[in-house]
Amino acid sequence: MLNYLAYAVAAWVFLWGLYGIVTSKNLVHQVVCLAILQTSTYVLLLAIGFKIGGTAPIFADIPVGTPVVDPLVQALMLTDVVVEATVAALLLSMVVKANEVAGTVDPEELRILMG
Amino acid sequence: MSLTTAIPFCVALPLIIAALLALVSRWIGRRVCDSLAIAAAACNVLLALVILRGVWSHPLIYWFGNWWPRPGGVALGICFNVDAVGAALAVLTATLTLAGLIYSWKIFEDTENHFQPLMLIFMAAMCGFSYTGDLFNLFVFFELMSVSAFALCGLKTLEPAPLQGAFNFAIVNTVGAFMIVMGIGLLYARTGALNFAQVGRSLGRTPADALVLLAFLLIAVGYMTKAAIVPFHFWLADAHAVAPSPVCVLFSGVMVELGLYAVARIYWTIFSGTLAAHEGQLREILLMLATLCAVVGGLMCYAEHHLKRLLAFSTISHAGLMLAGIGLLTPKALGGFLIYVLSHGTIKGGLFLSAGILLHRHQKIGEDHLHGCGRGMWWTAALFVIGAFGLAGILPFGTLLGESMISEAAKSVQQSWIAYAFVFAEVFTAGAVLRATFRIFFGWGEPAPTDKSSRVEEKPETEETRQRTPAAMFLPTAALILLGIAIGAVPQLRGTAEGAAGVFVDSSHYAQMVLDNAAPAPPRKAPEEPLTSSIVRSSVAGALALALALGSVFRKKLAPALNFTRSLELGNSALRAAHSGHPGDYVAWQSLGMAAIGGLFAWLLH
Repeated sequence: MLNYLAYAVAAWVFLWGLYGIVTSKNLVHQVVCLAILQTSTYVLLLAIGFKIGGTAPIFADIPVGTPVVDPLVQALMLTDVVVEATVAALLLSMVVKANEVAGTVDPEELRILMG
Repeated sequence: MSLTTAIPFCVALPLIIAALLALVSRWIGRRVCDSLAIAAAACNVLLALVILRGVWSHPLIYWFGNWWPRPGGVALGICFNVDAVGAALAVLTATLTLAGLIYSWKIFEDTENHFQPLMLIFMAAMCGFSYTGDLFNLFVFFELMSVSAFALCGLKTLEPAPLQGAFNFAIVNTVGAFMIVMGIGLLYARTGALNFAQVGRSLGRTPADALVLLAFLLIAVGYMTKAAIVPFHFWLADAHAVAPSPVCVLFSGVMVELGLYAVARIYWTIFSGTLAAHEGQLREILLMLATLCAVVGGLMCYAEHHLKRLLAFSTISHAGLMLAGIGLLTPKALGGFLIYVLSHGTIKGGLFLSAGILLHRHQKIGEDHLHGCGRGMWWTAALFVIGAFGLAGILPFGTLLGESMISEAAKSVQQSWIAYAFVFAEVFTAGAVLRATFRIFFGWGEPAPTDKSSRVEEKPETEETRQRTPAAMFLPTAALILLGIAIGAVPQLRGTAEGAAGVFVDSSHYAQMVLDNAAPAPPRKAPEEPLTSSIVRSSVAGALALALALGSVFRKKLAPALNFTRSLELGNSALRAAHSGHPGDYVAWQSLGMAAIGGLFAWLLH
């Protein structure tokens, strides 16, 4: 039951992230919504790797046969975190520049190319 | 050193040189920086060609850290699995990067913007993307190429338009990337594996359930966002319109196509077994998307007057054609896709560089502003005309061969109607380029009607004298466009490409090769059909494009009946309004598109 709840949370957060991006009126807010959308992937990966009663997958000091959580998903998640940090930093730097150059952080007002 | 151990260098070398350049560029000066970057790209072209020759007869597999699967075991390591299709795309990547770097010799006066290192990282990521045999590795290279692409797109940070374009590009593509992560997560949850072959074997041939379908949907939509398939395409026009011309070459020439390549790779290695029972329905869904993409891209292309944006929409239209090459789900169509990608990439790259030459000479990019400005630039005009007919896919071009294979394959699965969509795409995209050429270089007819985007000022990329076109700009442009013809002259190209595609789609053999260390089977050359019907069809398309362009330019002089060309040029207002320039709208379309395709999946595949 707990497992399914985590998947539902992942989907829920993903959809709210999408909603935030779609309705956002501020570029900074929009980048944060993207980060929220991203956290849904963390929840999903955690739910996949989690095992009830499992311990950390450090095999040096645990007896053979101890149940452990999946060590692979933490590697995936770490990569995911790095990716998100890079993208968010790049996007926020663009927002800073947009504020300097165009004097606005409203995506509505920044629309120059269209149609 | 065997060739297999040389494969990772295609990715590692440019990354190392990029890091070095970023570190020391402020001391070594602009020219040294340029030369090093060009040398690195040239090395990659050579290396990629050697690898292509090596994998011509059979694929090569490189296991990182020697973590190859032991007999009876499972694939725990990460591998590069290079076959002829991936290797050919890496050659295209390196070639376009080289052309872009040579072209940029005369633009960007300093190294402050890290243009050269970013280009090298972009190239390395795309080479890795076409070589890898691992699901998560594919995603990592996808993100590496995305992030360097976002930065390259927003390079001109002193103007608002590039910031808008790069921001929209980044938001939409990153949402797509997270869909991919979710899909990968679901697949990993089901199979416990990330290697293509391992995942594919675990899923086996049991019919797909909802979880597997959802995973396929998420991954396919994520990669189709990169591939600019309607309705996931909105970012592309904004990004291409503002990116520096040599960057557009890589965007349109190979980045978009790699998105489609990923869909093909994922489908055949992972999902072809489990979705085998639904092949017919899946084909119909993909062909529907392809047609929509070809038509929307074509109409918008003809309605644009900002040259780079016009070319961007032509890429969207041609992406529909290429999606059909994959969506027909036959090896012959996939072979056609490969040839089409190679020749389209070089021709479109050449056209973007030609547009860049106009920007250099006249500091303008709108067709209306440039009216008659190009008189005397006959060589550039010639490139535009040749490029336009290349888009139409007439006789000497490689695009003809690719398109003919896709149409032949369509005939064999009773979907020959798709050829009409191809003609539509060819007529409108080639017609739009010809129309712009006539107005800009010959000054014929009335000035073009203006639109919102064509009024956007773009600061020129160059500071040099504007009296002549530097050889460093003209030569790579001409070379790219001529390469689009030269590809068609390779003997036995169609049979060889179909053979390579045959290896690509043979998923059980792929799995045996990766997991059981089975001997690779040599590709079989397929017999080639006569080209007659394709030549006729493409000649008709070329003639229609020419007529459409002339009709648009001379409509006042000729006949009132030609007034429909004016409405074509003004475009459909609802379609235009959809391209609103607002990243939120684009993500809304993306979600809607995914929901629609998901609905079709649920309806047709269950």
